[in-house]
Amino acid sequence: MNQTPTNPASDEKLMLAFAQGSPEALTELFRRYQQPIHGFFRRRVTDPARAEELVQETFLALLRAANRYEPRALFRTYLYAVALKILRAHRRKTIFRAAFFGRPEAAPDPAKPDATETSFWVRRAIAQLEATDREILLLREFEQLSYAEIADLLRLPINTVRSRLFRARAALRQLLEAPARQHASEKIFPVGASS
Amino acid sequence: MIAAEHVVTPEEIMAYRDGELSAERAEVVAPHVQSCPDCQDMSEVLGDASQVLASWKIAPLASDASFERRLSEMAASSPAAKHPWIGSRLLIFGRRHWFLGGLLGSAAAIALVVGMVSISAQRKQVVTVAVRENRPLAQSLQTAPADEAPPSSEESQPQEMQHSRVRAELDAVTAQRDALLQRFQMDQMASNLANPREATTMPQPSAPMIARTVSLSLVVKDFEASRLTLDAILARHRGYAANLNASTQQNAARSLQASLRIPAADLSASVAELKALGHIENESQNGEEVTQQHADLVARLKNSREAEQRLQAILLQRTGKIGDVLAVEQEIARVRGEIEQMEAEQKSLEHRVDFATVDLNLAEEYKAEMGTPSPSISTRFHNALVVGYRNARDSVVGFLVFFAEYGPFALIWLAFLAALAWFLYRRWIRATSLTF
Repeated sequence: MNQTPTNPASDEKLMLAFAQGSPEALTELFRRYQQPIHGFFRRRVTDPARAEELVQETFLALLRAANRYEPRALFRTYLYAVALKILRAHRRKTIFRAAFFGRPEAAPDPAKPDATETSFWVRRAIAQLEATDREILLLREFEQLSYAEIADLLRLPINTVRSRLFRARAALRQLLEAPARQHASEKIFPVGASS
Repeated sequence: MIAAEHVVTPEEIMAYRDGELSAERAEVVAPHVQSCPDCQDMSEVLGDASQVLASWKIAPLASDASFERRLSEMAASSPAAKHPWIGSRLLIFGRRHWFLGGLLGSAAAIALVVGMVSISAQRKQVVTVAVRENRPLAQSLQTAPADEAPPSSEESQPQEMQHSRVRAELDAVTAQRDALLQRFQMDQMASNLANPREATTMPQPSAPMIARTVSLSLVVKDFEASRLTLDAILARHRGYAANLNASTQQNAARSLQASLRIPAADLSASVAELKALGHIENESQNGEEVTQQHADLVARLKNSREAEQRLQAILLQRTGKIGDVLAVEQEIARVRGEIEQMEAEQKSLEHRVDFATVDLNLAEEYKAEMGTPSPSISTRFHNALVVGYRNARDSVVGFLVFFAEYGPFALIWLAFLAALAWFLYRRWIRATSLTF
């Protein structure tokens, strides 16, 4: 992700270049991280359209905050920190609106490619995890962040991140075992592996 | 899952699989996992969990060329692209100090409201004149606001002259009336002194005694002339204003509320003249017969006086113990108090009968002045500047006075509420930051 054959410049250099007045650098960063950031939001927000809006908000925030960027950590960590802030703001707004207008329905759309049976059970199992455990698991499995980066993002001790990640994986395995038995589907989870 | 004799923890196996274990611990964990079937199972289970999670695919985001183009344009026009050396402080102020900005904005809004309120309160010029009883009405009618801008047109000069002439005539009539009243009162006092018995029993009315009350609401066209006419009517009929309130507001209808006392004999004529002042909106008349009440009062007064005379005779003619003398004196004092109280009641009652009460409500038929000649542009600018300066000064003074009066109180509560709000906000942020 950091470097491509056609664009050898690192993410950090691109961000610094944009902060120093090169608009093309931001466009390149957008191309690199558009899909990962979309996956980040899509796995956490039920409404696909809203997820797309949050992607755009993230890059706009990046644009506005360019002058304050300091390459103290990986750009990827910085970008996910911005996305996490935007996600938190979105959740606060959602809760606030739900207090007045009610919570909107969050049923998955079967016509969507990500609404397969396997992903349905995975999403349901993940939704049952404790909030912090879930966030740590998602950041590790999908965003591929290191333990230290997760600890930095969530402001938790690194040992807490490790123990919670283990707890989340164990809980997820148990949550996925029941539907696996019910449907006798090998593609959901290999039941025999737990012994 | 992992027995106690294992030299590695399950978290270490997981960290080893994730490549997050330190090299020192990895050298210990790697051979153990290879040799321990339980730990191998654990490692596989964790790997399977990751594989299952990897099955959760997200449909790729369709390329949004419009947003990409917009982002490029915004990036090209952003402060970072145009002026890389500025912006950070402005952005920091704009985004991080929103609370301070909100606080300053609220303070400015409060100051604006306070300033406007103080200015409007000063602009509202309500002239209220309260006239005490037995005071010539002409003195109380000098209620024109002193700081009101004088009319600049030539038309106002003949009107002023007319008003001053009428006022002079009115003052003369009022002085004459006061002299007559004074002489009448002196004659009455002399008569009472000459024959006190007759004086006390003088009001022996054969006709019924009626305390009359009239209420009149009028709308007049010329307010100033009506006020002067009202004064003339009172002087002519030897009446007076017990209470008078005149409200003179700029660009609004003027009004006058008065409680008049008019001799009962002249009531009909006075009311007829008052009605001629303008259009009658409301009229009511009330008569309360107090004949019986007066007769009772007179009889009780007579008895009390006789009792007092008998007591005084006893005190003069008879001798006895000191205690008896003192008891008689106390009884005389008590009877004297009752007599004085009843005399006051009698006077009040007779006054109500002799002088009818007229509650007058006079309102001006207001017409907005469209065609009045406006002053010159320079005068208007000058006036606007003066008014603007006064408003600015008054608003600043008003704000300072308000802040001095309520500032400490408001600051204490603001600090308390801000701390409470901040505490609740932080709790809410913590509670909602990781929840779906």
